[in-house]
Amino acid sequence: MSSIPHDHAAGHEHAHEHHPGGIMRWIMTTNHKDIGTLYLWFSFTMFIAGGIMALTIRAELFQPGLQLVEPEFFNQLNTVHGLIMIFGAIMPAAVGFANWQVPMMIGAPDMAFGRLNNWSFWLLPFAGVLLLGSFLAPGGAPSAGWTLYPPLSVQAGMGMDMTIFAIHIMGASSIMGSINIITTILNMRAPGMTLMKMPLFVWTWLITAYMLIAVMPVLAGSVTMLLTDRHFGTSFFNAAGGGDPVLFQHVFWFFGHPEVYIMILPAFGIASTVIPAFARKPLFGYASMVYATASIAILSFLVWAHHMFTVGMPAAGQLFFMYATMLIAVPTGVKVFNWLATMWKGSMTFETPMLFAIGFLFLFTIGGFTGLVLAIVPVDISLHDTYYVVAHFHYVLVAGSLFAFFAGIYYWLPKWTGRMYDETLGKWHFWLSFIFFNVTFFPMHFLGLAGMPRRVPDYATQFTDWNMVASIGAFGFGLSQLLLLIAVLKTIRSGPPAPARPWEGADTLEWTLPSPPPYHTFETPPVVK
Amino acid sequence: MQPDSKMGSQRAANLRMATILLSIAAVFFCGIILAQYSGAPAVAVGVLGLAILGFLGISIGRNVGRRGRQ
Repeated sequence: MSSIPHDHAAGHEHAHEHHPGGIMRWIMTTNHKDIGTLYLWFSFTMFIAGGIMALTIRAELFQPGLQLVEPEFFNQLNTVHGLIMIFGAIMPAAVGFANWQVPMMIGAPDMAFGRLNNWSFWLLPFAGVLLLGSFLAPGGAPSAGWTLYPPLSVQAGMGMDMTIFAIHIMGASSIMGSINIITTILNMRAPGMTLMKMPLFVWTWLITAYMLIAVMPVLAGSVTMLLTDRHFGTSFFNAAGGGDPVLFQHVFWFFGHPEVYIMILPAFGIASTVIPAFARKPLFGYASMVYATASIAILSFLVWAHHMFTVGMPAAGQLFFMYATMLIAVPTGVKVFNWLATMWKGSMTFETPMLFAIGFLFLFTIGGFTGLVLAIVPVDISLHDTYYVVAHFHYVLVAGSLFAFFAGIYYWLPKWTGRMYDETLGKWHFWLSFIFFNVTFFPMHFLGLAGMPRRVPDYATQFTDWNMVASIGAFGFGLSQLLLLIAVLKTIRSGPPAPARPWEGADTLEWTLPSPPPYHTFETPPVVK
Repeated sequence: MQPDSKMGSQRAANLRMATILLSIAAVFFCGIILAQYSGAPAVAVGVLGLAILGFLGISIGRNVGRRGRQ
């Protein structure tokens, strides 16, 4: 991986600080830092919206019977919670990190296409409003689950149309963002920054962007066909007209499984940046990490049908998808091993970013193991659509993606704002999140193993105790996230000034810049040795 | 090379790459719909899936491991 040794920077970079002020700065901006900030705030807003839905779900599930919401509304909450968290919270957060960090990490002055970048972001609030506004549509929001399976999605009300358009818009935004990121990385690296010297965060984003270009059109095409089935008399997936609903499931999961890795690979990149910095050692096995990321990306396109073992498929198909799924554990294991080896005999300190990175490593590995359990066909058939699956993917996506993003926020906050965050507050955020996350989701393994089905607002009384525990944990976890907001606002308003390189072990290009970095950076490319 | 012409050639290279990537995305989008109109949708979708996998393999594979590439 590249490291720093240049004294290029400073000098002229403060000469071009002029940029519009007020609200117009944010609407018209083509600056990657501004757009990164917009993405991150949008993501946090959606995270809160999706979180409120999750807490309503958990409040309903606190006791058996129906307490707070009607079953139909419960289904709508489940559906929109999933869509909002995936398309509104996690993916935009990852793009926010890419916008802030990719140009600075490769020594580029900005993203390749500034206006396209602005447009990519400003599409998102409209999509978010469409998605959330679907609750107000006649018939309410979609209630078919985030997978939008027909026939429910064909029969649903107008809220489904709003959701389909929201997915189109968010898909277009993702494709434009990906084109921008790929072009920036491949064409605008500083002299000497060869591909195999790029920071791993940049590598993971390069591969993620290729994956997005591969799968987003597939999702857009399939929801377009859903739309024509609903309104234009086609029967692609509508069994009533001779269509094939199972084909939708295949096409959806051909998008859906790579999507999981689209959400987790940037998190891997952040962990691969944070862990070496706080272990004060170079990342162990850099090249193998790149190869493992590429392997995970390609394998992720070969395992989609493990989401639909219960649909029925030939034994040969089941075996193929079972073994292919298990195979992903190999490159993932390489990554886990390399992170541990990086820490081995390192001079580690445990500031908040490192705590979140270790939390990510520990909990994501648990999520990975339960994924292996679910890959086994007979086990999956018994656990399909139970709370075991809910526990599994929350360990992967909350403790995986989200914890790594928290690590990234605390790691780069001093660079972004020019101020240090409150370490005590950060540690409280970590420990409360870590404890309450496990209180929420670990019992769901037990509930799933005992046979509690997901997406149902009522349950048999023997599931009561663990549901109460999970609901208490969920409220604790939700409230803990207010600490992040407080920590970030406190940093921006009154944090002590941060040095250019607050982390002793940080060695990527952005740390050669002052904190906060000037509005325009690397107009003269640095030379990487 | 003069700075302006260097910037111009980089802009052209960026646009070329963006056009190629956008075209690939458009082909995948249209392909998944048009596949349904072929005689055997399952086969056509399978072929498209292989094309997508090929795109991914080539696009990632040509970059991975190239130590000297600037």
